[in-house]
Amino acid sequence: MSSDVRFTDFKSDKQPTWCPGCGDFGTMNGMMKALAETGNSPDDTFLVAGIGCSGKIGTYMHSYALHGVHGRALPVGTGVKLANPDLEVMVAGGDGDGYSIGAGHFVHSVRRNVDMTYVVMDNRIYGLTKGQASPTSRSDFETSTTPEGPQQPPVNPLALAFASGASFIAQSFSSDALRHQEIIQKAIEHDGFGFVNVFSPCVTFNDVDTYDYFRDSLVDLAEEDHDPTDREAAKKKILEGDKEYMGVIWQDDESVSYEQTHGVDENMSEIPDGAPEDAMDLVREFY
Amino acid sequence: MAEDFNWAIGGEAGDGIDSTGKIFAQALSRAGRHVFTSKDFASRIRGGYTAYKVRTSVDDIQSVVDRLDLLVALTQRTIDENLDELHEDSAIIYDGERSWEAEIPDEMYAVDVPLKSLAEEAGGAIMRNVVALGAACELADFPIENLDESLEKRFGDKGEKIVENNKEAARLGKQYVQDEYGTLSNDDFHFELETTDSDYVLLNGDEAIGMGAIAAGCRFYAGYPITPATDVMEYLKGRIEHFGGEVVQAEDELSAINMALGAARAGARSMTATSGPGIDLMTETFGLVATSETPLVIADVMRSGPSTGMPTKQEQGDLNMALYGGHGEIPRFVVAPTSIDECFWKTVEAFNLAEKYQVPVYLLADLSMAVTEQTFEPEAFDMDAVEIDRGKVVDEAEIEAWLDQEGRFTPHAVTDDGISPRAFPGTTDGAHMSTGLEHNELGRRTEDTNVRMEQVEKRQRKVETAKEREDWNVREYGNADADTLVVSWGSNEGALVEALDILEADGVDVRILSVPYIYPRPDLSEDVSEAEETIVVECNATGQFADLIEHDVLERVSRVNKYDGVRFKADELAADIKQQMEA
Repeated sequence: MSSDVRFTDFKSDKQPTWCPGCGDFGTMNGMMKALAETGNSPDDTFLVAGIGCSGKIGTYMHSYALHGVHGRALPVGTGVKLANPDLEVMVAGGDGDGYSIGAGHFVHSVRRNVDMTYVVMDNRIYGLTKGQASPTSRSDFETSTTPEGPQQPPVNPLALAFASGASFIAQSFSSDALRHQEIIQKAIEHDGFGFVNVFSPCVTFNDVDTYDYFRDSLVDLAEEDHDPTDREAAKKKILEGDKEYMGVIWQDDESVSYEQTHGVDENMSEIPDGAPEDAMDLVREFY
Repeated sequence: MAEDFNWAIGGEAGDGIDSTGKIFAQALSRAGRHVFTSKDFASRIRGGYTAYKVRTSVDDIQSVVDRLDLLVALTQRTIDENLDELHEDSAIIYDGERSWEAEIPDEMYAVDVPLKSLAEEAGGAIMRNVVALGAACELADFPIENLDESLEKRFGDKGEKIVENNKEAARLGKQYVQDEYGTLSNDDFHFELETTDSDYVLLNGDEAIGMGAIAAGCRFYAGYPITPATDVMEYLKGRIEHFGGEVVQAEDELSAINMALGAARAGARSMTATSGPGIDLMTETFGLVATSETPLVIADVMRSGPSTGMPTKQEQGDLNMALYGGHGEIPRFVVAPTSIDECFWKTVEAFNLAEKYQVPVYLLADLSMAVTEQTFEPEAFDMDAVEIDRGKVVDEAEIEAWLDQEGRFTPHAVTDDGISPRAFPGTTDGAHMSTGLEHNELGRRTEDTNVRMEQVEKRQRKVETAKEREDWNVREYGNADADTLVVSWGSNEGALVEALDILEADGVDVRILSVPYIYPRPDLSEDVSEAEETIVVECNATGQFADLIEHDVLERVSRVNKYDGVRFKADELAADIKQQMEA
């Protein structure tokens, strides 16, 4: 890894088509800075993106990348990382991608604890399809498909991750550039599945969960004397109904990644020109 | 051909039927006899009945027949279920001390052996099936020492005591039959299972696929358990790790194929295996695999559909799905092994095709070969003959030729042969994206009409290139000059080859083509037009392969279809072909 990598090296020459003011700009900037700061380069980074506004990130960043099908970015990232653990794997998607169509994969990726980073750009709305309710939309949030509001409680992604046995849970806010970058960096450095829910406001279709709302309501755990390795404290904060936090809420300091527990440490792209040397032993087993 | 011998053990699921059957099959194989096994789940009644059948001969065999010579019946139902396969000289071993009253037809030999009591004498009732194996050895004049080796293999890791107890149980069974049914075992029941010096290996199609994958350099497997494909995953687990690989049990098939896709993007030879219901789910991601031009092997071990269908029953019903499944149009290759050893070789080939042409390859196997064991010479799996071709992979030295004017790598470069360069992540200057959106040479989204057409044509051109470069051969049997052409695909080949003997004995001449490639596939136009009649044999109701042949040759063909969930048997197939010829 070259030490002279700058965060702009992670920027592609493609201009984003996100709406002016979209939270995803800030989310992406923090990701690029965190990747550069942790010593990664575009040639050894693999970014997997889902579907939705957030999914476009693969085009706007420069690295090896796959823009997959809706909701399945995490399994793709899992396959990439296990096939070549030397790669830095980052998975990015929206709240619909991660908590609705891909909710099953979220739960099991959390459990599996593969050493990668999952950034959810949570704007609590479906933006690309022009404004329908998402799994994190408020119960009374009126949209074209939910004129009375969804009238069901939003998913608490942090609690879902916690219940699934997460080893790292954090939340950040796209417009707090420094804190956001710092939190993503911690997720990258975490030995296991680093999950960050990023409030990334949609300025076009969500007039409730706005920049102002998050600025006014988010409580920074840095100012709360919170110990993220304290399981009980983390649980309490995650389940608190009336407050939302920014920062690393839970980090298992004894986390052991899937790769370590399963002894996955080889770059699987390297194989011999013929059958492996002792492959005939496989045949002899059938005697 | 030497006389074959057909043996079975049947009882309730949970009676250890499979494991006992496998012990006997292995003993026969180790004694240098050919073996072909099949598992029998009740066709008429659903429930706990299960049976493991072994056909054995000193000659090569590759099919099952409708005849049972020696049956170990742990339940009355085992006898009832097999009445049509039993004959007047069949012997039935049963335990008269058990509560059920065995109703055995008078003309057959009833061999009452106190299986449970003798097992207890040897150390535990659990060994009653092994007592039955010993009894079978005596009846069929099969040297019991061969059984010992098989017992050692099966119980070796449980300690010497267990092994010795089992050997003793077998001997008690043998001795009991010798003492009580001496005349029967020596004279009346005329089978004598001679041994040879040959060394055979015994394996099923799923295992052959798994072994082929490792041989081909597959290092990543993700799957979700499903009958009858689970054996592939179970085979790889615990083995692939020795070669630096990993098996992941995913949360569902949606995840499994995406994991496999991710590993392939990272440069690993990667695969997943499933059956119909899993393929339905994987179809979502299939288009992404194909349009991102990612090499991936997807094994579909077919079973009866639609929906949950008959999960433990044979069918070749997924051919159209493999060819056409998924929205939009995108090239994919479909390869269908025709025998258990070919499951190995076609898996190796599937990996090469996938990487050379950067396409998903469906490996269409079917239940009949997947869960059936057959003996082979070990040389049938000659690892030195395995060739690996990774296609157009570019390293750091070669990458410059594939950068555009701005120095960006072009993973979907438009080329004469349609094949673009592939750079594994980690390659300097190779960073690029790919996407399920239509894309340009850089892998970035586009809706430009010209670029769209260029990319569609480029992907299609890969098929044309493959048609030219590869040998899309067929396997031919019978009389090359016969007027009647019989065409088959998948696992029907074995029964067909044996049906040939029956037809020849009846003076009926046929030419057989067994086709292992569904797409691209060999052009059979000449063969069909030269024949007076073409009969396409397949295990489905609608004749999906026959439709393809008709499409290719613009001529009608006759069809023999079987869709009752049971594989073709040689004698039945011979009769079907004759009937079709007379129609």
